[in-house]
Amino acid sequence: MKLHNAHKTCWNCPAAILKGNVDFRACGQSLEAIRRRIEREGLLIECARLPDLGHFEPTITFEECPEWRPTKYGYLLENMRVMILGIDGYLGWTLALKLGALGCEVSGVDCFLRRKMVRELGAHSVVPIYPIEERLKAAKEVLDIDIKFRKINILDREKLGQFMREVQPEAIVHYGEIPSAPYSMIDCNHAIQVQYNNVIGTLGLLFLMKEICPEASLIKLGTLGEYGAPLTGRPLFEGLFPADAVLRWRGREWSLGGELTPRDPVSFYHVSKVQDTFNIYEACKYWWLRSYDVMQGVIYGVHTDEVAADPRLRTRLDVDEWFGTVVNRFVAQAILGMPLTVYGEGEQIRGFIALEDAMECMVRLISSPPEPGQYDVVNQVSGLHKVSELAETVARVAAEFGYDVKIQRVENPRVEADYHPFEVVSTKLPNELGFTPKVPLEVEIRRMFELLTQPHIVERIKKVAHLIRPRTWWSGEKRIVETLEVYRPGTRRRRGFKPRLITDRERFPISKVEEVERAVEAIGDGEGGDGNM
Amino acid sequence: MSRGAIIGLDGVPHGLVEDLAHRGVMPNFRELLKEGVIKPMRSSIPAVSAVSWSSMMTGANPGVHGVYGYTEFLPGTYVVAYHSSRWLRAPPLWRRDPSKRYVIINLPATYPAGEVNGVLISGFVAPDLERAVYPKELVEELRELNYKVDVDYVRASSSPLLLFKELSETLRARVEVCKRLLNRIKWDVLIFVITGTDRLEHLLWDAYMDEDHEWHGEFLQYFRHVDEAIGEILGLIEEDDALMIISDHGMEHIEVNVNLNRLLRDWGYLILEDNPRRSYNAIKRGTKAFALDPSRVYLNRVGRYPRGSVERDEEEGLLEELTELFRGLTWRGRRVIKEIYRREELYHGDAVDKAPDLILVPESGFNLRAGLFREEVFEREEGLSGKHTEYDALLYVRGVEGDALPESPSIEDVLPIFQRLMEGEPS
Repeated sequence: MKLHNAHKTCWNCPAAILKGNVDFRACGQSLEAIRRRIEREGLLIECARLPDLGHFEPTITFEECPEWRPTKYGYLLENMRVMILGIDGYLGWTLALKLGALGCEVSGVDCFLRRKMVRELGAHSVVPIYPIEERLKAAKEVLDIDIKFRKINILDREKLGQFMREVQPEAIVHYGEIPSAPYSMIDCNHAIQVQYNNVIGTLGLLFLMKEICPEASLIKLGTLGEYGAPLTGRPLFEGLFPADAVLRWRGREWSLGGELTPRDPVSFYHVSKVQDTFNIYEACKYWWLRSYDVMQGVIYGVHTDEVAADPRLRTRLDVDEWFGTVVNRFVAQAILGMPLTVYGEGEQIRGFIALEDAMECMVRLISSPPEPGQYDVVNQVSGLHKVSELAETVARVAAEFGYDVKIQRVENPRVEADYHPFEVVSTKLPNELGFTPKVPLEVEIRRMFELLTQPHIVERIKKVAHLIRPRTWWSGEKRIVETLEVYRPGTRRRRGFKPRLITDRERFPISKVEEVERAVEAIGDGEGGDGNM
Repeated sequence: MSRGAIIGLDGVPHGLVEDLAHRGVMPNFRELLKEGVIKPMRSSIPAVSAVSWSSMMTGANPGVHGVYGYTEFLPGTYVVAYHSSRWLRAPPLWRRDPSKRYVIINLPATYPAGEVNGVLISGFVAPDLERAVYPKELVEELRELNYKVDVDYVRASSSPLLLFKELSETLRARVEVCKRLLNRIKWDVLIFVITGTDRLEHLLWDAYMDEDHEWHGEFLQYFRHVDEAIGEILGLIEEDDALMIISDHGMEHIEVNVNLNRLLRDWGYLILEDNPRRSYNAIKRGTKAFALDPSRVYLNRVGRYPRGSVERDEEEGLLEELTELFRGLTWRGRRVIKEIYRREELYHGDAVDKAPDLILVPESGFNLRAGLFREEVFEREEGLSGKHTEYDALLYVRGVEGDALPESPSIEDVLPIFQRLMEGEPS
């Protein structure tokens, strides 16, 4: 059984030098056109890592290449240079440690905007986080990871470009965006701040990549919220329509295969992500950049082996209205003895993924770069849940820790359907990238209770207790939402639609997954695997 | 010590030069004919620029210099690697006598440019100008002059108008660079190669052959410019400087393409899996033979290739079978393959182990190529109208009598002739 990316070739590899060797005018949208061109003229590359090979066809597979080594997440480029934008954030820091532990050369930038925004709203991370200098020092001491950090605002293209030239990244993970729908809905200034930072930051990054590292892959964090929740129940495909999708109108039919699917963003923040999508899509088309646009579900949780290795290595966890995601907020409310706040009917369905699983997905994406010119999208989600059901689950786990929790329905400050069908297609990560979710919802919630019930953290949660209940209305109103109903877990009748997650796992049955895992175990903890962990 | 200049006209047949000189299209050349000897020259086999220029600059056959084409597999793989100057196993002219000072402009098959006493600007294929130039300090100046290694083939093949524009701009910049360098460097040896000739002939050979062709006039006009360029260079060197004007192969009309790997598949010697990348990595175990461009046939030897399937004791039988099959190949009743050589018939030297097992030479009009995933054996060519020939390359030497040159010169004679001229004998 081969690792999932064994068959990928130099064509996918960021060490393959295209600049100067490939005629970028030949790109366009059609991979078939590129293939024809390769056949006709013989497309040649050089290898930045093995310059003695001279010019050659990009056909060496990851399995054959000495620069790619097997790990449990697939073949990974030896000492791969990965740059993380927004490295000080919830995901950025966690990923930096994970990649470092896998032997990647991690670099990153951050301007601490997130710390500043949270502070200005009067909130803080309930899990204490250390200044970046302390974090870097601890990463070295505890995990023997060297992270090259530079304080840079990504809007400062000159500085960012300088750092990129210095590092010559082989993959760039873009977490450097303001990640909050309610924050963008506070008022005009906040909406503009979010859109300017996110859209212009990403656009500038694309130009820099074209100039400095066109062979690097861009792993860009989008959000499942870009698609909205269509009331027709149309499946949320992975960014692009599959080959057999058809548009029918007045008795005529057209294939939609390969076209971007409709976006229906649900806040000005989500609009910024949609705008990013289009900008990245075009940059891939014009300049042969390559990107995974990661439509991530709502993330929750606190655990990876690396962040848990030392208190100084912990990643942030916000529970306020603006930056706290729903599960994280519920756990905090449970610990405070506050009824869990469900907006509206609580029948809204969303996609979710635990921090640890999300990090594994990111590593798999980094290790399987798209082809030059390829804009690809993955729906990074491990389960679909109704908000009211999440509250029930948190309440159930809370009971294990001795908390008697109630649930309250409050006014919904957002503009969203209370009842809607929800069908999400997520086939690439499980089938093409070998990902199986490892962390069930309850398991991660349990880990959260274990961490957040520590007295010093409980104290910190208490200090932001007044910021959990929402006051930011999509209408522009500024008032704290009213309670509509309080009920005990397990007493409310389930209504609404049933979510449906399509993973096509039958194409990659569990037995095969186990086979892969056994193959990986056979690699051992020595030269392969994550020996540093 | 005397100086010497070699002007290369890539892909220009001896016959074309004689024709255009006499027709008055190339008046400078007509004058030169009075001062020296012009002869047809045998090219390398296969007749591709990387091989023939390597032979001319080393005076050696491929068995010694190790270059058999533009492509080879990376050792132990089916990954096609492209020609690099690092492949050359024999010392070229400028390494043999490093005491002389060289100005080398646009010499094919020298990329990346290595160190030289003087200046070396590589000719095609040279994707990155930075690495095509020695010393590096020259790169900026070349950029300012809009110097291009080659015509922009994508633009050029999209429209004849753009082709002629590209050709003339490229030539003008090349001559300008030559003038500047000769004016400021105290040189001993000049090598100046024009490659637009080859590009034009590939795309529009029919425009030369057919006087009624829409682009006939433009075709001749370009050769007028080439002749003027020769005139300008003559103005930069002395009359007693040694002078040779050479080309690397001949050119003729393409009648039909012949896809050798398609043939080998049809005959059952080559088995490919369906490979979306359409690369040689698709070769499956059981494959006995495959072809590389343009006309090189290799046995898929055990121990040499990842899925090698030919044992030593099978080799002779296979070569005989293949020879028989190629010999019998016909198209519309005409024989396709003129000659089939075993490697030891053509090559001798330490690098023979890298040589193809069979080397094919086609009859006139047949364009042999690898064509790995082609559907048909014989295919009409749509983009090009000219192809290389192994015969009728150009050899012109100023200041010698006819009997001073070999009766039937080959491309490997270029270097010894030039060295003799530089030493001042015999004139």
